[in-house]
Amino acid sequence: MSKKLTKVEFTNLNKTIFPKLKITKSQIIEYYIKTAPKMLSFLANRPLVLTRFPDGIDEKGFYEKDAPQGTPSWVKTVKIHSETAKRDVNYVLCNDLDTLIWLANLATIEIHMPFSKADSREKPDLVFFDVDPEPPATFDDAVTVALLLKEKLDGIGLESYVKTSGKKGLHVIIPIVGEHVFRETRAFVHKIGQQLAKEQKLVVSEFTETKKPGKVFVDYLQNSHGRTMVAPYSLRAVPEATVSAPLEWGEVEKGIKPTELNIFSVVKREKDPWKKIFENRQKLKV
Amino acid sequence: MEKKANVPRRPIWTGSLTIGLVNVPVKLYPMIYDRGISFRFLHKSDGQPLKYQKVCTKDQKVIPWQEVAKGYEVTKNEYVIFDKEELEAVKPESDRRIRLDKFVDYFSVDPIYFDRSYALMPDKSNDAYSLLLAALEKKGKAGVGRITLRTKEYPALVHTYKGALVLTTLRYAYDVVDPQGFEELKKLKEPEKAELDLAVKIVTDLSGEFDVTEYKDNYKQKVEELIKKKLKGETVVVEKPVEEEAKELMVALRDTLKQLEKK
Repeated sequence: MSKKLTKVEFTNLNKTIFPKLKITKSQIIEYYIKTAPKMLSFLANRPLVLTRFPDGIDEKGFYEKDAPQGTPSWVKTVKIHSETAKRDVNYVLCNDLDTLIWLANLATIEIHMPFSKADSREKPDLVFFDVDPEPPATFDDAVTVALLLKEKLDGIGLESYVKTSGKKGLHVIIPIVGEHVFRETRAFVHKIGQQLAKEQKLVVSEFTETKKPGKVFVDYLQNSHGRTMVAPYSLRAVPEATVSAPLEWGEVEKGIKPTELNIFSVVKREKDPWKKIFENRQKLKV
Repeated sequence: MEKKANVPRRPIWTGSLTIGLVNVPVKLYPMIYDRGISFRFLHKSDGQPLKYQKVCTKDQKVIPWQEVAKGYEVTKNEYVIFDKEELEAVKPESDRRIRLDKFVDYFSVDPIYFDRSYALMPDKSNDAYSLLLAALEKKGKAGVGRITLRTKEYPALVHTYKGALVLTTLRYAYDVVDPQGFEELKKLKEPEKAELDLAVKIVTDLSGEFDVTEYKDNYKQKVEELIKKKLKGETVVVEKPVEEEAKELMVALRDTLKQLEKK
């Protein structure tokens, strides 16, 4: 082997990142290496927000928008002006395997991505339904709502995709052609949410009702410029080292336990349910 | 047929032989090779070379070279410790001269004291060299002197061998065991005359010339044959050493790169 396999110089590989499961940074990197073939296309050209836990998830981690100091020159970044911070933020773009490995070596656990790409930021290519149960509503309640949502979208001729959030909820996605703006996608999700709320007591769709116990909120507000979701196949910084795992609708119907979709099980999954997502961009009827 | 040892290219020492007022500048070359077959230790499961590390006996930590000192064991588990500098300071100065102050019969020195032989070659001193060579050959004598090689001083013989001057370092008397110290020898009896006559006759009958080239290292030959056979089959290819702990990552990486290539 004369050719170097990666530009990344590994550091502190034996550092424990998930103490409860005794998962080391080496295993985090291995996970992202193995997941890369399924994951990279979702990240491409999107300004990423990272959560890093260099001292493990039991210690304080940090959200990171700016590319950190010492970012190698081969890592692509994009400058975007932040209205709130009143300055330019230099976001990391992860368009290749080396960058993903580099992020993992920085103890990046969660990778969050926006719904539009860096070169067309006002025009989302993904519509996002965040199906979020408020206790005592459970994951199973989220499943009930997500399946209703799918049925509703099917009814208006839209094919949707589902993944676990890696925590307690589900994410439902529609890939769309790049001719809509966020105002439109937001309004669309809000409208669908309101219809669901009428049909099913469990559902709330207004922000003011989000904290109502026992309800499932279909969050439409995330469909905005600068907002993000946890990327498909991203790890979550929870003790069980779960993954935000793309699923087939059939799997959701049969019943799943989100905690069982973790760093170990997801790499063993042959299924790649979101594989064709970008070949299936649809038009919204607004 | 065993290949002859190659003539070495570089001298390991240069200096001069001095006999009284005569100076013979010479170069010293190694002459003796231990040409066994050497093996490297490998990891059985993946065939990768193993390396040695200095590990502290107390906490099992690997100790870098800069933190290593030399210790002389005074009593069990008790050492006096030396810096490299301290030992450097008492190293014998390498005298660039071999003073030959006495000449003896070469065969009067028991071979048990012979340590290692080096070829002496003239260093722009052809005339003096051939003169000394001729004189020693004629008298069958060897010059006695001392030489410092690296950190050790040796007694040495300068003698002739196949038309060349050869220096053979000698062992110190105190480094050789006197067999009279063995108890077994003290219990030996004088043999009977008749027995002795018979034994002498057998030895006489079996007497012959000694030819060292008749001897081969059979074990070495067999291993060499084995190596040849294995070469025709599969050998273990050594990978570039990757950081030990990154090994599994490299396996995953290779696999992923293959998958990405297909896309």
